[in-house]
Amino acid sequence: MKEPKLGTALSSEDFKKKRVFTTSYKPKAEYAWDTGFAIGHYLEGLKEGKLLARSCKKCGRILIPPRAFCELCFRPTDDWIELEHTGTINTFSLCYITWDMRKLTDPVIPSVIEIDGATEGCGIMHMIGGVDPKAIQVGMKVEAVWKPADEREGSITDIKHWRPIL
Amino acid sequence: MRVPSNQNYTAWRGSIPVGSLYTVGLAGQMFLEALKEKGEILGSPCKKCDKVYVPTSIFCESCFAELKEHKPVKSEGKVVSFTLCHYDIDGNVLNPPRIAAAVRLDGATSVLIHDGLGEPSKWEIGARVKVKLATNREGSILDIEGFELI
Repeated sequence: MKEPKLGTALSSEDFKKKRVFTTSYKPKAEYAWDTGFAIGHYLEGLKEGKLLARSCKKCGRILIPPRAFCELCFRPTDDWIELEHTGTINTFSLCYITWDMRKLTDPVIPSVIEIDGATEGCGIMHMIGGVDPKAIQVGMKVEAVWKPADEREGSITDIKHWRPIL
Repeated sequence: MRVPSNQNYTAWRGSIPVGSLYTVGLAGQMFLEALKEKGEILGSPCKKCDKVYVPTSIFCESCFAELKEHKPVKSEGKVVSFTLCHYDIDGNVLNPPRIAAAVRLDGATSVLIHDGLGEPSKWEIGARVKVKLATNREGSILDIEGFELI
């Protein structure tokens, strides 16, 4: 029986020494994501150094990041509420690799942080910083470390990271 | 609910960094080598189907037979179809328009797509054209500058 063809394997040498012809392309992949009114105001709040949540009067929950509607009651949310700049680590991960696969010596530490004043289990994803990675624990109290006001631009990165409250 | 419109952050803008490196494959390699080294347009005949594929192919699209012999076709041919492109890929206006031409080179049964050169108003279906080679060839489809009217 004839062996099936398995394709042609190429090594990185083949590319470096230009033994094979290639063509490369970088598309201009720009986007504009519509924030909607809830996240739009949330970003505005961040620029002003505020953490804004939405409340639902029916179920009594306080939601951050804010949503325009309550997904449990299927009704519009009601009021804006400013929350404390403190919270609790719900979960975290030590990442020694970036999203585009570069190796890191010092890990970045994405975490889910339950914000004080919001309903239990309600929180945001952000980075933990300014602490020895080995010292971090679930349940640890943390506080937001903000960028200076003139560097804030209405982005979740207006908070530099969260650091444990000692 | 009345949706308030007094917000400054209505859109989040960004760009996605994506890049590609496409390898031309066995057939593409033969085609581009012939183009770069000899300035020839290589085709792949299938005797059974009486077809000649340009650019080269390692198999026949009709009978799936492996194509092992490859030989050059003529660098002249006939315009099968063409389009005047008034916008580039990013929506910028092109003036004069760019000509995208489909040309059946003499000896080929398939068409080769490339830029049409010269005055757009002089282009017509059925016109005779010839391949214009680039001065510096490096093993790319751009080693052909385009088709010029004869």
